[in-house]
Amino acid sequence: MNLVWMQTGACSGDSMALLCAEQPSLESLLDQGRPRLLWHPSLTSERRFGAVLDALLLGREPLDILCIEGSLMTGPSGSGLFDTWRSRPKIDIVRQLASIAGHVIAMGTCAAFGGVHAATPNPTDCTGLQFMQTRPGGLLGEAWRGGAGQPVINVSGCPAHPDVMTKVLAMVAAGVPIDLDGFNRPAAFFSTLIHQGCTRNEYHEYDAEDEVLGGRGCLFFALGCQGPMTPGICNAALWNGRSSKTRAGVPCLGCTSPMFPPDRDLFVTPKIGAVPKRLPLGVSRAKYMAYKNLAKAAAPERILNRDMEP
Amino acid sequence: MARRTVEIDLNRVEGDLEIQVDLEDDVIVDARCIGTLYRGFEQILIGRAPRDALVITPRVCGICGTAHLYATVRALERIGGIRPPRHATHIRDLCLMAENLQSDLRQTFLFFTPDFCHPSYAGHPLADDAARSFAPFQGDVARGCLETSRKVLRIVAIFGGQWPHSSYMVPGGVTLPANAGRLLDARYLVAETRAWLERSVLGDNLDTWLALDSGPAFFEWLESSAAHRDAGLGLLCRFSRSIGLQSLGRGTPHLISFGMRPDPVDGGGFPAGFYDGDADRVEPLDQMRINEHVSHSWFMPYPGGRHPWSGETIPDHMSGQGRYTWAKAPRYGDKVAQTGPLAELRIGAEPLITDLLAAEGDNTWLRQFARLRRAAWTVRAMAEELDALQRCMDEPHFVDPGIQDWPDGEGCGLVEAARGALGHWLRIGNGVIQGYQIVTPTAWNASPRDSAGQPGHWERSLIGLRLEDPEDPVQIGHVIRSHDPCLVCTVHFIGRSRKTYPCV
Repeated sequence: MNLVWMQTGACSGDSMALLCAEQPSLESLLDQGRPRLLWHPSLTSERRFGAVLDALLLGREPLDILCIEGSLMTGPSGSGLFDTWRSRPKIDIVRQLASIAGHVIAMGTCAAFGGVHAATPNPTDCTGLQFMQTRPGGLLGEAWRGGAGQPVINVSGCPAHPDVMTKVLAMVAAGVPIDLDGFNRPAAFFSTLIHQGCTRNEYHEYDAEDEVLGGRGCLFFALGCQGPMTPGICNAALWNGRSSKTRAGVPCLGCTSPMFPPDRDLFVTPKIGAVPKRLPLGVSRAKYMAYKNLAKAAAPERILNRDMEP
Repeated sequence: MARRTVEIDLNRVEGDLEIQVDLEDDVIVDARCIGTLYRGFEQILIGRAPRDALVITPRVCGICGTAHLYATVRALERIGGIRPPRHATHIRDLCLMAENLQSDLRQTFLFFTPDFCHPSYAGHPLADDAARSFAPFQGDVARGCLETSRKVLRIVAIFGGQWPHSSYMVPGGVTLPANAGRLLDARYLVAETRAWLERSVLGDNLDTWLALDSGPAFFEWLESSAAHRDAGLGLLCRFSRSIGLQSLGRGTPHLISFGMRPDPVDGGGFPAGFYDGDADRVEPLDQMRINEHVSHSWFMPYPGGRHPWSGETIPDHMSGQGRYTWAKAPRYGDKVAQTGPLAELRIGAEPLITDLLAAEGDNTWLRQFARLRRAAWTVRAMAEELDALQRCMDEPHFVDPGIQDWPDGEGCGLVEAARGALGHWLRIGNGVIQGYQIVTPTAWNASPRDSAGQPGHWERSLIGLRLEDPEDPVQIGHVIRSHDPCLVCTVHFIGRSRKTYPCV
C-alpha cells in the first residue's frame, strides 16, 4: 500500500497534527508497513518528488493512497499559478495523480471543501477536491471515483483530528470499507457532535450561558459556539490526549463543516430574539424554547453561580 | 567560464519555495528565492470583525499558529488600549515557548539531521552512529523527538484546548485559567521533556550545559566524555564540523529578533533588538524602520520600501521584468537582516552563541546549533514561567475589555516565533478590519532582492558555495535547512545542455 501525501494551498497544520496522533501514532502506523510512505513534503528523506511522480505516472509503482492537504488554487484567472511546483500548477499534478490513485483522501477542510482560503473574497479562486464548500463538484467533479470505486474521502477539520487521520489511513490500508456521510466524511468519525462530551454540557443543559469569554458557562447562546451542530469527535477523543477547544473555553468554530469559516463575526451567535438562529441539530424551535425555559427554572445554585469547573 | 542553471528538489521544510541557482565551474554565482504559493490571507481579513483574526491568522501557519495568535491578540490590545492581566501573559508565554520548543526539536531531528543519513556519507566514520540516531522514523533520537514533541504540545492543549489552531488568547486575557491540576500536569511535562533532552540530546545536566559560556569551553566539554560526544547534540556537532558546515552558508551579518517574551512581566529572557553586523552593535528595536519592497515580487508595484502600515498586498503575476516570487522583501532601514534562534541569542547577548558568532561568523552549523541551544534555554524558561504562574494563579486570567464596537486605530503585534521575528500590523476602521499586513520570519530570511538590488539572506548565503558534485549537491540541503525554512523549498538547477534532477 503506497501512500503519497501532497500539500497544495496549505499551512502544514494537518501534517503537524498528524505528528500529534496518538491512537495510533504515525510511527506505529508506519512500523506496520501498511501504508508505506513514498513521499511527504516534511517527513520523507529517501526520494525527491519528481522521481516519485515519474515512477507513479509511468506505472512503475502503484499509487494506492493519495492524501491531499490544502486548498486547490485555481487562480489567477484559472491558471493555477498561485500554487506551483516547478512552474506547473499543482492542480494539474493533483488531477493527474487522482486519475491513477486507488483512494484519494482530503486531509483537512481545505482539501475537502476549500477551507479558510475559500473565505470571502476567495482571493485565490480555490476549491476543495470534490466540493466547493457545500456545492458538489470541486476540482475533480462530482462524478469522479478512485480506482477502488469511492469518491474522495473527506477527513475534514481545521486541522483534521490527528487520530481520525491515522485511523482512516490504517483502515484504508487494511482494506476496511469506509462508509461516508452526505459530505463524504467517514461516518464512523462524523456521527458524533462536538457537543457530545463537552465538559460545559451541564451549563448548556440548564441554560447557563456566558455573555463574555473567559468564563465557565456554555458558549452556545452568545459566543458563537457551533458544537451542537458540528460533527466531529473533539470531545470524545481529546486533542493531544488532553483537551478540546470548548473545554478550554474557546467556542467550537465549526471547522469540520463545508462553510468553515462562516462569513460573520465568529465570536457572536446570530439570534432570533433571545434564542440562537441555528439550534442544536434537528431540534424544533418551539419545543427548544419551552425546554430552555423549564431548564432555566430548574437550574441549581451551583450552576447559576458557575461553581463547577468545566 | 560555463554558466548554467541546474535543478534540485528539497523537502523536509515547511511550505513552498523554489530557488534558482546559477553555477560557474560548480560555484554558485547567483541565487533567486522563489515563493511559489500565494494564499491571500491579508485580503480575507479585510472587512471582517476584528476578533475574527484570532481564528484566521493562526491558520497562516500550522507549525507556528500560537505565535500568529499571540501577534494578533497583541495588535488588538494595542488598539483597544487593553492591558492583559499577568496570569494571562504567563499562560501565553508558556504556550508560545512550548510551540517554539516543539518546532526546534522537530526541525532539528526530523528535518535537518536526516541529511547525515544521505547515501553520499556512506563511508563517513560517523555514518553508522548517524543512522542509529537520526534515521527518519527509526533512529532513537528521531523516535524520541516524535514522542517528546507530542508531550511538549500537551501543554498548549491543557491551556488552549488543542494544538495546532486554537484561539484561546483573546483581548483581555486567556479563556481558561491555570489551576493546581493544570499547573501540575504542565510541570511534569516540562520535567519529562527536560529529562529526554538531558538523556538523549545533551548527554549531560541541562544547567551544566547552559553554563558553558565560550567556544573553547564548549569544545572541551564536547570531547570530555563519551556521553557528550554520542548524544544527539554531540553527534550533530561532530558530524557537521567534520564536513565543514561551520564554514558554509554565510548570509547577511545583520540580525533581528523580537525577543523571547513579547512583553516580559517578571523580567528574564532575551530582549528584542537589531544587531548591526558591520558595527558589531546591538540596537533597541524600532519597528518603524521595518519596510517591505516588492520590486522583484508578483505584487502591484510601488517604488522603494513601505512600512507595513502603508503596505498593500495586491497580487499581480507578471512574467519577466525581474519579478520571480510571491514573497516580499522586508528590510530594516536599508539592511538585509536574518532572523531565528541565532539572532535571538546573539541580540540577547547569550555568552556561548555570542562567542561562537564572533569566532566563526554566521554559518550553517551555528544556526542549527543555536536552535538546540535555544531549545535548552526554553525548557528552563518554561519551568520559571510555571513558577511565576503559580504565584499569580489567584488573580484574574481575563478582564472583559467591554468593547462592543472596536475603535478606529492601528496596532502592531511583534512576537518571536520559532523561526524568528513575526510581525502583524492591523488597522481597524468602522468597526472592522481595514488592513492587515503580516511579515513572517521566513519573509526576512527568504526574501528576494529589494529595490536597491540587494539579494535576500538565503540568496546571499548560497552565493560562493562550491558544489563538489553538482549532480548531488547535498551541501545545499544542509545550508537551506539550517535556515529552518517555512516553505517547501525546491532549488532549481536547469542544465544548459542537459537537465539533471539530483536528489538531496
